[in-house]
Amino acid sequence: MMRLNLSLFIAVLATMLYVVQVQYESRRLFVEIEKTTLDVRKLEIENATLQVEKRAQATPLRIEKLAKERLHMRSAMPAVTQYLRLNRDDNSGELKK
Amino acid sequence: MNHGISYASSPLLASKTPVWRSKFIVAAIAIGFAALAGRAVYIQVINNQFFKKQGELRFVRTLDLPANRGQILDRNGLILASSVMSPSVWAIPEDVEITDVNLAKLAKLLEMPVAEVSKKLNDEDKSFVWLKRQVDAVNVKKIEALGIKGVYFRNEYKRKYPEGDASASLMGFANVDGQGLGGVELAFNQALAGHAGSRKVIKDRLGQVVENVGEQLPPTAGRDQQLSIDSKIQFFAYQKLRDAVLENKAKSGSVVVLDVVTGEILALANFPGGTSAKQEGLNGAQLRNRALTDTFEPGSTMKPFVAALALEKGLVKPETVIQTAPGRIIIGGATISDAHPHGELTVNQVIQKSSNVGIVKMAMQMQSREMWTMFNQLGFGQKPQLTFPGVVGGKLRAYKSWRPIEQATMSYGYGLSCSLFQLAHAYSVFARDGDLIPITLTKTNEVAVGTPVISPKNAIAVRNMLHMAAGDGGTAPKAQAIGYSVGGKTGTAHIQEGKGYANKKYRGFFVGMAPIEKPRIVVAVMIDEPSNGKYFGGDVAAPVFSETVQQTLRILGVQPDINVKPQIVTMAVEESF
Repeated sequence: MMRLNLSLFIAVLATMLYVVQVQYESRRLFVEIEKTTLDVRKLEIENATLQVEKRAQATPLRIEKLAKERLHMRSAMPAVTQYLRLNRDDNSGELKK
Repeated sequence: MNHGISYASSPLLASKTPVWRSKFIVAAIAIGFAALAGRAVYIQVINNQFFKKQGELRFVRTLDLPANRGQILDRNGLILASSVMSPSVWAIPEDVEITDVNLAKLAKLLEMPVAEVSKKLNDEDKSFVWLKRQVDAVNVKKIEALGIKGVYFRNEYKRKYPEGDASASLMGFANVDGQGLGGVELAFNQALAGHAGSRKVIKDRLGQVVENVGEQLPPTAGRDQQLSIDSKIQFFAYQKLRDAVLENKAKSGSVVVLDVVTGEILALANFPGGTSAKQEGLNGAQLRNRALTDTFEPGSTMKPFVAALALEKGLVKPETVIQTAPGRIIIGGATISDAHPHGELTVNQVIQKSSNVGIVKMAMQMQSREMWTMFNQLGFGQKPQLTFPGVVGGKLRAYKSWRPIEQATMSYGYGLSCSLFQLAHAYSVFARDGDLIPITLTKTNEVAVGTPVISPKNAIAVRNMLHMAAGDGGTAPKAQAIGYSVGGKTGTAHIQEGKGYANKKYRGFFVGMAPIEKPRIVVAVMIDEPSNGKYFGGDVAAPVFSETVQQTLRILGVQPDINVKPQIVTMAVEESF
């Protein structure tokens, strides 16, 4: 009887410690998930910011200015454009595939 | 001898305790336990909310999960407005510990004078001060690296408009809290804003989230809005407009570009239009989108509608000759005159030369109801069905109250008012062989279906008149574009001031379409109060039209319909097979 009780007591102790350990582990993993989610969010925000930055560097105003000043280019006009027509009846300007 | 105590006869034992007393005690204790058990059941099972809540108050934190505000994109998916992280820096003055070296560094990173930062940090009456809101994220990282005690950061979002001034009056703006307060930001606010979410969590001593509690409510991000605007066309329209307004020393100007195939607005530019970033401090005049929110008397740009109605009613044919000599006509005691006397003109020439007398003679053959119905069908006097804050419908009085002189002046655009957008919309009738289509600010790929207003034959006839007006003998030869045939009508209207008209204040217009055989776009230009000598619509507005048409059709990939002498110097090398 005594032996059974003792083994049960030890089993209880062991599971207790195991529960504590599992709980600790789960929280540790949870914190890690949280951190990663936060990192994801930060990267998303950075991505959005960079997209805007990229766009701001490529506005027609800037492109035109740089093309004119640095590359000495001028605006395209019908006189300097060669038009290729894919579909004879199509005057909508959109290419039909 | 018996010396002992006789227990049996002890008076103490002899006293008989009633049985109920012990039973009573047992019962009382039992009741006590039952009450405790009952209370325990009550607290833990039946009414467990109170303590649960008290417990949660002590360790559960509710985190708000802000929803991302959607982006505004142009028709090609380019960003017109987007939210970026822009943290704000705040401090608890009494907790701040800072060295002089760090103070100088902090002030530099905040782009503020050292004295001001120091004053804010030493204000110990306050337990909270903003050092600076919406600081550049890069600088914030550097400030964080300084590790100053008592200085904290809060993540906030700022709206960025990469196109800047070119689309400022169209975009409107959103405030620090992400609420749209004007323009497209306000018009589509509900969709753009999304819904904030929340989650309950347990935080540990270090402030880290260690467990979720209960249900999470994830945030719904705002939807991106794709507009019909083409940012390149918008930019070119804005650029040409800005140049014209500055050159003519005008008060302001607007341009509307419509795609008449789909009914989409391709550009809607205004100048001056305040920089979006600074808009919160600006006044209404700099913020509003004048092309939609301001009305004016359209002047001669109304004439083609009267001519179309006269054709429609069978009163005239394009070749019908009208005597406009001696260049004036008296209606109800008032004299209406032409800028230059013309003599005999055909209906075509009346529009080409923009003769007031000619158009009045046509208008006076009509009933006021007929004219009103036509104008009404074209959308004058009605608020356009367009999602945009502050859109106005102008004024078109009921025909019953028109006096003959009013009917006459209305035929050349005085006595009624409309916005530039309405005027462009009405002109789409000529561009589309007689039907009026709904206009949209959001991208659509469908071909618009319109309601017929005039017959295709007459629409084409009026288009021919508009082509003549923009031709060499017309009022606006400056509207001609290289490579594309155009047609349109000028307008030069006196500006109303108080009850009368200002003596030397004008508004110059040009509304037209291209290519004239099969129009793809309608462009309307208005220049308000040009004051550098020139003021005729054909001089101030037509050049803007010409350049806008050229760039727009090029961007849309429409092939030129007029032969242009090629100036191509390098030819593509032929592929060898």
